[in-house]
Amino acid sequence: MARPHPNGPKPAQITAGRIGLYAFLFVAALFFLLPLYTMIVTSLKTMDEIRLGHIFALPEAPDFSAWVTAWSGACMGTVCVGIRIGFWNSVAITVPSVALSVFIGAVNGYALSLWRPRGASVLFGLLMAGGLIPYQIFLYPMVRAMANISLYNSLAGIILVHVIFGLPLVTLLFRNYFVSVPEELCKAARVDGAGFWRIFFEIMLPMAVPMIVVVSMLQFTGIWNDFLLGLVFAGRDNLPMTVQLNNIVNTTMGERTYNVNMAATILTAIVPLAVYFLSGRWFVRGITAGAVKG
Amino acid sequence: MHTKRKRNLSVTLALLPTWFAAVVVYIGTMFWSIRMSFTDSTLFPSSNYVGFAQYVKLFHSAKWLASLQNVLIFGVLYVSGCLVLGFLLAAALDRKIRFESAFRSIFLYPYAMSFVVTGLVWQWMLNPTLGIQASVRSLGWETFVLDWVVNRNMAIYALVLAGVWQGAGLVMVIALAGMRGIEAEQWKAARIDGIPVWRIYVSIILPQLGPALAAAGMLLAMGVIKTYDIVVAMTNGGPGNSTEVPAKFIMDNLFGRQNLGLATAGATMLVLGVVLAVAPFRYAMYLRSNRAKGAA
Amino acid sequence: MKNTMKLFLAAAALTAAFGTAHAEDKPTIEIMSSWTSGGEAAALNVIKTEFEKRGGVWKDSSIAGFGAADAAFQNRIVAGDAPGAKQGVIGLAAADFVNQGLMNPIADLAAAGKWADALPKSIYDLISYNGEVYLAPTGAHGESWVFYSKEAFEKAGIADEPKSWDEFFAGLDKLKAAGIVPVAWGGQPWQQSKVFNMILLSQVGIDGFVKIYVDKDKGEASVEGVKKTLEILGKLRAYVDDGAAGRNWNDATAMVITGKAGVQFMGDWAKGEFTVAGKEAGKDYGCMIAPESSGMVYIADSIWFPKTGNAETDKAQKLLAEVVMDPAVQLEFSVKKGSVPMRSDVDKSKLDVCAKKGLELMTAGSIVPDQAIVLTPQQVGLLDDFVDEYWSSGSQDAASGAESFFAIFE
Repeated sequence: MARPHPNGPKPAQITAGRIGLYAFLFVAALFFLLPLYTMIVTSLKTMDEIRLGHIFALPEAPDFSAWVTAWSGACMGTVCVGIRIGFWNSVAITVPSVALSVFIGAVNGYALSLWRPRGASVLFGLLMAGGLIPYQIFLYPMVRAMANISLYNSLAGIILVHVIFGLPLVTLLFRNYFVSVPEELCKAARVDGAGFWRIFFEIMLPMAVPMIVVVSMLQFTGIWNDFLLGLVFAGRDNLPMTVQLNNIVNTTMGERTYNVNMAATILTAIVPLAVYFLSGRWFVRGITAGAVKG
Repeated sequence: MHTKRKRNLSVTLALLPTWFAAVVVYIGTMFWSIRMSFTDSTLFPSSNYVGFAQYVKLFHSAKWLASLQNVLIFGVLYVSGCLVLGFLLAAALDRKIRFESAFRSIFLYPYAMSFVVTGLVWQWMLNPTLGIQASVRSLGWETFVLDWVVNRNMAIYALVLAGVWQGAGLVMVIALAGMRGIEAEQWKAARIDGIPVWRIYVSIILPQLGPALAAAGMLLAMGVIKTYDIVVAMTNGGPGNSTEVPAKFIMDNLFGRQNLGLATAGATMLVLGVVLAVAPFRYAMYLRSNRAKGAA
Repeated sequence: MKNTMKLFLAAAALTAAFGTAHAEDKPTIEIMSSWTSGGEAAALNVIKTEFEKRGGVWKDSSIAGFGAADAAFQNRIVAGDAPGAKQGVIGLAAADFVNQGLMNPIADLAAAGKWADALPKSIYDLISYNGEVYLAPTGAHGESWVFYSKEAFEKAGIADEPKSWDEFFAGLDKLKAAGIVPVAWGGQPWQQSKVFNMILLSQVGIDGFVKIYVDKDKGEASVEGVKKTLEILGKLRAYVDDGAAGRNWNDATAMVITGKAGVQFMGDWAKGEFTVAGKEAGKDYGCMIAPESSGMVYIADSIWFPKTGNAETDKAQKLLAEVVMDPAVQLEFSVKKGSVPMRSDVDKSKLDVCAKKGLELMTAGSIVPDQAIVLTPQQVGLLDDFVDEYWSSGSQDAASGAESFFAIFE
């Protein structure tokens, strides 16, 4: 059985090996934390202090005004309401997109690996090749197509786009998951007269809960952080938070307020970060149950 | 017979939306791109065919050639860097460590951050006058050099460093979870045989994680071809062409430079490259699965 | 209960009817711009305020970054859902849209408002396509500026603004000797192209500049001019610091503001950073046109008016064009954005020292257009590639460099 506990013997005493182990972890942690540290201290400085260019120095007097500005006062054009206006749009785009693509991914993975219909490997190959193409090239034809079916500039449209572009990733993960499920399980159920959907809903889906968690988290991060698709397909009433973030951060000839930029970036990432921290245990357990075994 | 057909119908119906998306969107776009690449389209699609002129231009473009070389270097180093560091971190965390979940969160958080600004922070840190070099020198080590972002020969490694920073955590959780799935009996047996811990990880655990790591590698590889944000945020392709990548080349020509014909020619070459790279792999898988079926 | 419900529904319907009637009365326009940061947004607000004062309804669709804004705009057009107005540069960038019949002309309005008299002729020509006016110009940015720190100049012992490149380099040597970074260099392709252009103008003059970029002339004088330009550009390499590559212009400006660096080559929008840092033009920092220049390179923004097929929007477009060209709006806009007004008949007293210098050159017609105005977007990209390659490789000599320069136009 899977053990949600660490391996190896209990550490009896402090050995050179363990000191080395901790040293490695601390150095690695420093490497991973340095950018975040830099962002946080920068966000707490005034622009005058930032201009001096000591990026690792602690702020002389921590100033939280950049955070307030980023959340509720930063200007994007003539509208000065901060990045909060995109928050609910991002939620409205991300939640249904993730739910739908995870469901479709689960069905695909189950059908492709356990039923092996004709053309299964062709379809899988197509999806994998599609997943490797830079998606910018899809923009023109997709925009045309979406306009033709009247979904351009709508919430449904952007959700559909995310689901389509998510297909390679979700199908890959679920297929590799279901491949490791013993075929006998499915065969036995079939002998008992269970159909495609009954086996899926009653046996496979409950078994795949850990994988569903994993795929949801990956898709959540990807869709939440998407900028280009949201900008092009969502329409001005549904623009996600990342478009707001871009409007604050990105400029060619304008002034740059780095402290606000840093705060806005961290604020935008808060939801996916919270999802990681809160379901970190699930993340590990999810994969533990044999999830990403090819 | 009747039920079998019904069953097959369910499977077909279930996969229909995906087939539809794959054929209409993926194949449709590919054909559209290929057609456009033979035209002189600039801002909008045109139907004035010019043969292979865009391809000739493409392969005379120093930027495009550099971008192919760069994405290859970046891809190999980024994927292997993430896999190695991710595996090492997972193995270390697997050794009954205090504050495991804190460490896990620290290694994973970059995956949640948008590169628009973290790229800028990396640019600052690797800039000799602002970042780590300046700080180390001010501590007294006057000859210390860390100028990757501004150095033509090193800029691509700066991208790799930032990329690994972002992606290693993903490999870590996947690998760590795999390690937790390994039977306790195997551990006991190996310990009884007196095999040293590092050997257990290398010879017993690593092979078992193979498929999981392969899936992680595939996820990372999908990201490599699409590499765009990190480059724009950190180096914008420079200095010179030293960090130019295909996705950026295509994006620049698609919009800013209003050169649809050239952009689609680039995309077509990329698709061709991907298909050529993926096809043998898929074929091998196909043969293997057939053999498995035959055996069963 | 039933009646109450009916009443409620009727009231709702009535409000809805009024609501729509109300909105239809007012000319409504959606404007896409990439002016999102402090000064830019304040300038856009000037137009918005006046537009609303005259009864218009303003819907803001701002997207920062030229690349992202272009992508969004082009895709809106592809989808047949064009916005009512878009901010963009004058000249060739809009040509494809006009030639494809995607834009509304505003010729009547321009004739009625006597735009031909109010604008410099070169600008008027660049907002006209096939003899008709299509764009409403908002303001111009001078791009040939050298900003310098007065404090740094004093410390290095530079008394006067250098008049020639020789004097300029002598000044840079003094800065270096004083332990100051001589040039705050922004090592991004678009910034480098601007420096290339300002040097080119100083070497070939206004006519020579136009000959090269507009007539694509490859005569001996043009080639010689490009060669000399590349020599000067190459010489500058010795005066920048290690961290120059990829640097944002704002960070370069910060070096001048803090006195770490002596000079910066940049467009007049850099004043915005100085202003935010509480520095004053002419007092804390100086602005001079690049040495030996007989004029100034400029880039001009305008409002484009895409065809939307909606008569109401057409009306709103006319109103917006009127507002943009209003003398008071032009002045106030430029003050906020740090640019130079397009109209020659505005009150100069409100402008700062640098903008006054710029406006003088503008009204005298001593101006040449930025490459984005006279080259196709493909060629603009190639120019960026060329200058960046020349600058960062450091191995190409000026003569072969000049050759690859003229290859851009093929």
